[in-house]
Amino acid sequence: MSKKSEATLRGIPMRPYDLLREGLIVLAILAVIIVVLAVVFSSPDYPTVRGEDVAKVQPIAYLTTAANILAGNSSIEGYGPPYTSDTANAQEILGIAPANWFGVTIPIDPAQDLVLNPLARVAVLDKDVSGALQTYQSATSDQQQAWLKAYLAALDKATEDGGKVQLPAGDYGPVAALMDGMLNLGRAGLLEGALESGSRLPYMLDSTRSLLYFQDAVDQGVADSLDLLGEQWGLGHETGSYPGAWWLWPYTFLYQVPPMSTSDNGDLQVGVIMLAFFVFLLLIPFIPIINRLPRWLGVYKLIWRDWYRRQG
Amino acid sequence: MNLTRKAQMALRDSMTLEDALPTKMPIYVNSMAYLFGVSALSALGMLGITGIVMAAFGPGWYHVSKLGHFVNSLHFWSVQVFFGAIVLHGLTKFFMAAWRDGRWKTWMIGVLAFGIIVFTGLTGFLSQTNWDSQWIAVQAKDAMNALGVGAFFNTMDTTQVLTLHVVVLPLFVVALVGVHLFLIRHDSPVRPLPGKEDGEK
Repeated sequence: MSKKSEATLRGIPMRPYDLLREGLIVLAILAVIIVVLAVVFSSPDYPTVRGEDVAKVQPIAYLTTAANILAGNSSIEGYGPPYTSDTANAQEILGIAPANWFGVTIPIDPAQDLVLNPLARVAVLDKDVSGALQTYQSATSDQQQAWLKAYLAALDKATEDGGKVQLPAGDYGPVAALMDGMLNLGRAGLLEGALESGSRLPYMLDSTRSLLYFQDAVDQGVADSLDLLGEQWGLGHETGSYPGAWWLWPYTFLYQVPPMSTSDNGDLQVGVIMLAFFVFLLLIPFIPIINRLPRWLGVYKLIWRDWYRRQG
Repeated sequence: MNLTRKAQMALRDSMTLEDALPTKMPIYVNSMAYLFGVSALSALGMLGITGIVMAAFGPGWYHVSKLGHFVNSLHFWSVQVFFGAIVLHGLTKFFMAAWRDGRWKTWMIGVLAFGIIVFTGLTGFLSQTNWDSQWIAVQAKDAMNALGVGAFFNTMDTTQVLTLHVVVLPLFVVALVGVHLFLIRHDSPVRPLPGKEDGEK
C-alpha cells in the first residue's frame, strides 16, 4: 500500500474485498434499472417549433413576430452584447456588467438580418415583394414606422379564415406585401434557411438566428402551454411528466424569490449567487463551523454504526 | 538524474497494485453509503456507452429510428441515475466529513468535476434538437450573456454545443474523475469520526 494508506490503516482490522466484483455487480444492477426505465417510460422528444408550423397554424402570430422585429420591437433590439452594441441594457450589479466585457461577438441587426435579408431573397422570386421592398427601403424612417404601427394595430383586429389573414382596411404602405412575403417564406418551410444564409453554406452550423426568431411571444406561448416557463421552474422538468435538470432546483428556485424574480438583473444575480455557492462547496473543508457540521449532525454514526458498535 | 526512475519511485510510493485494485478493505467500510460513488461511476459508464452509440449515428438519428430513440432513452435515464448517485455520494461524503486528514484535494476535485458535469448536462439538454433544447437555448442564453460567458459559449450554436457535449467536456470529466479516483485510492478510505467514547464532546 501507499505510505499514506499504511499510515491511515495502521491498527485497523481488514476484511476481504473484491473491487472488480463489487463494481460489476453495481453496474449490472444499474444497467437493469436503466433499461427498465427506458423501456417503461421512454424519453421526451417534443417536436421543434418551426417557421413553417407557426406560419400555417398561427399566421397572425407569425406576422406579428415579423412586423415587430421590423419595427424594432423585438427583445434583441437594444439587448446589448453579445448581439448589439447598445450596452445600456446589460445586466449589472454595483455597476459591473460582465456582459459588456467582451463586446459584440455575435452581431445581429434584427430588422436587417431577420426580416429584410430574407425578404431580399423572396424578392428574387416575387415581383410584388421586390417592388414593396424598394418602396419600403426608399421611404423615411418615420414613414416606415407609421406603416408598421398601422399594420401592427390592424393585426390585433385581423381574422383568419382557412389560413388566410384578413386585415381591416388601412394605410400599411408596402408593409402588408412585405409581411405576406415573409408569411409565404414561412409556409414554404424556407424561413430558417433564409435566416441562416449568412453562415457557412451549404453547411448550417449555427441556429442562432432561427432560434431567436420566435423566442418572444410564440415560444413563450408554447412554453406556457407545456408548463415550462421560468416561473414554472423551467429547466427542472422537461415536456410531459419527464424529469429534467432537477439538480438545478436551487438555481431555478432563486428565480422564484425577490429580488431576482422581479429584477431586470435577475439572471446576473442568480448567476453570481450560484457561483458563490459553488466556491462555498469547494471550500467546505476550510470553512470554520461548516466543516464541523457533520460532527454535530451525527449522520456519520448511522453510516459507521457497525464500527462504533464494534468499538464499544 | 533519471526522470523515469524518479517517476517509477513516485508511482510506487503513491499507488501500489493493492491500492489500485484492493483485495481487502478496512472493516469500517461497511455501509450502503459507500455504494453511491461506484453507482455514479457505473452510471457514467452507461452514459459513455450510450453516448458513443448516439455520437456514432449522429444527432438526428434518435428522432427517426426506434432503436435510436431507445438508445436516447437509455442515455436520458442514465443521466437521471447518474445525478441521483452523485448527489447522494456528495451528501454522504459531507456527512462523513470525508475531507479530513489531508483529503481536501479529493473533495475539491470532486466538486470541480460536479460543476463540469452540470455544465455537460446543460449541453446535453441543448443537443437534443427538439422543443426542449429549443426552449432551453433561448432561456439559458440570457444567463450566459449576463455572466459574460455568452461571448464564448453560444447556447444556440448547435455545433458548438454538440462538440462540447460529446468531446470537450467529457474529456474534462473523465480526467477529473480519474484524478479523484487516484486520490481516493492513494489516501485510502477516511477513518470514522471519533465517537463519544473516543473523547468527542
